[in-house]
Amino acid sequence: MPPRLRCTASARGLTAAVKPSRPSAALLRPSTPAVTSAARQYATVSRGLSLPDDYVPPTKPPTARPGETRKAQLLRTYTSLLRTTPVVLLFQHNNLTAEEWIAVRRELKAALDAVPATGDASADIASKAKIQVVRTSIFDVAMKLVEFFDPSKVEPTSAPTASGKRVKVTYNHDLSKAAWKAVKSVTMGETKIPETSTYAQLSALMVGPVAAFTLPAVSPQHLAAALSILAPSPPQFPAPTRKKNPGYHEPITQSALQKLLLIGARIEDKAFDMEGVKWVGGIENGLDGLRAQLVHMLQSAGMGLTSTLEGAGKALWLTMESRRTVLEEEQNGGKTEEKKADA
Amino acid sequence: MITRFITEIQTAFNPFSPRAKSARLFLSFLPPNARSSGMNITTQLLPRSSTAPSKLYVKFKDGKELNIDADNMGIKSIIEEVDRHSRILQKADDLAAA
Repeated sequence: MPPRLRCTASARGLTAAVKPSRPSAALLRPSTPAVTSAARQYATVSRGLSLPDDYVPPTKPPTARPGETRKAQLLRTYTSLLRTTPVVLLFQHNNLTAEEWIAVRRELKAALDAVPATGDASADIASKAKIQVVRTSIFDVAMKLVEFFDPSKVEPTSAPTASGKRVKVTYNHDLSKAAWKAVKSVTMGETKIPETSTYAQLSALMVGPVAAFTLPAVSPQHLAAALSILAPSPPQFPAPTRKKNPGYHEPITQSALQKLLLIGARIEDKAFDMEGVKWVGGIENGLDGLRAQLVHMLQSAGMGLTSTLEGAGKALWLTMESRRTVLEEEQNGGKTEEKKADA
Repeated sequence: MITRFITEIQTAFNPFSPRAKSARLFLSFLPPNARSSGMNITTQLLPRSSTAPSKLYVKFKDGKELNIDADNMGIKSIIEEVDRHSRILQKADDLAAA
């Protein structure tokens, strides 16, 4: 082993280079007025030097991951999806291959495009319907955020601007501390998540591989079309016939659909199981049909009420009337018997 | 998991119950070509209100049947259980081939 040499001069130089109070000229360059007024002002307060604008700290290199798969971005995507999309069907997908996914999406698109257009929005619904694989853990967090965090209730805080002035700002985005606190206050500690909340009902589904089929509006016709492809159940949602849709009966599509399981749904912020989804898909003529059904039910209920209220009076009248006829007959009968006795 | 020697799988679970986790994960462990390579897989989804226990039935090539208590077992122990028999079959298969 070579003897250790004390090298105080170079060591002092090294510490001097590392210390922020004595920045080396290689790392920091003289500041310009434009830079000083920008965000990096704190670095230049004493010395009039600043970091370059494109300075990247060596401990935090830029990520090579594409933006849309980052966790923060995924969370934003999912919360936005859950806030805007009324129909989310959740499927378990067991090891579908890429070409099987392609086949499923092709059949789904064909079935949705074939739904007869009822209004202007119909074409839009078909084109915006989508089946996508979701990251379950992040989807789970997104469901919590959507249900337990209300951005409109966040108090504004004061924050310093670049010029040193303090202004009122509201940090109520989904990645904010307020959002984190709101979610934690419900899910952590003594209080249990209320059983009635949608999250408590759906959180058990967030296990294993999950795919979400989303429709941008509650349209039972489109839902029925999607169900007849993804989870056919013969009497109500029959699979397309071999003659009408040969692509559906190809081995690739069939093996894909065998591996997709409809496990649940979130429709209009409510949890539904398979039967519930079938019920929603089975509503005839959409929401208007449902309204017509309601009107009919209320009308018939009114008729039933009047007949019930009438019924008591009618029954009383009938009994009295029958009693009267019986009495009259007895009187008449008695008379006839008397007559017979006389004769 | 060794799935080469499994001929039949029957599962029934209520996905809204947290106890269905291991049955669902077991299904996700099967290879993509499981059905085309002769495995018979039937899955029954119970309604949300059902409290029936999850069922997992596995049948092997040599006729051995396993009824696994998927409600109380984790996915790791289920796989261990299934692999224990699969390894015996694999050993016999290797010896026959050699």
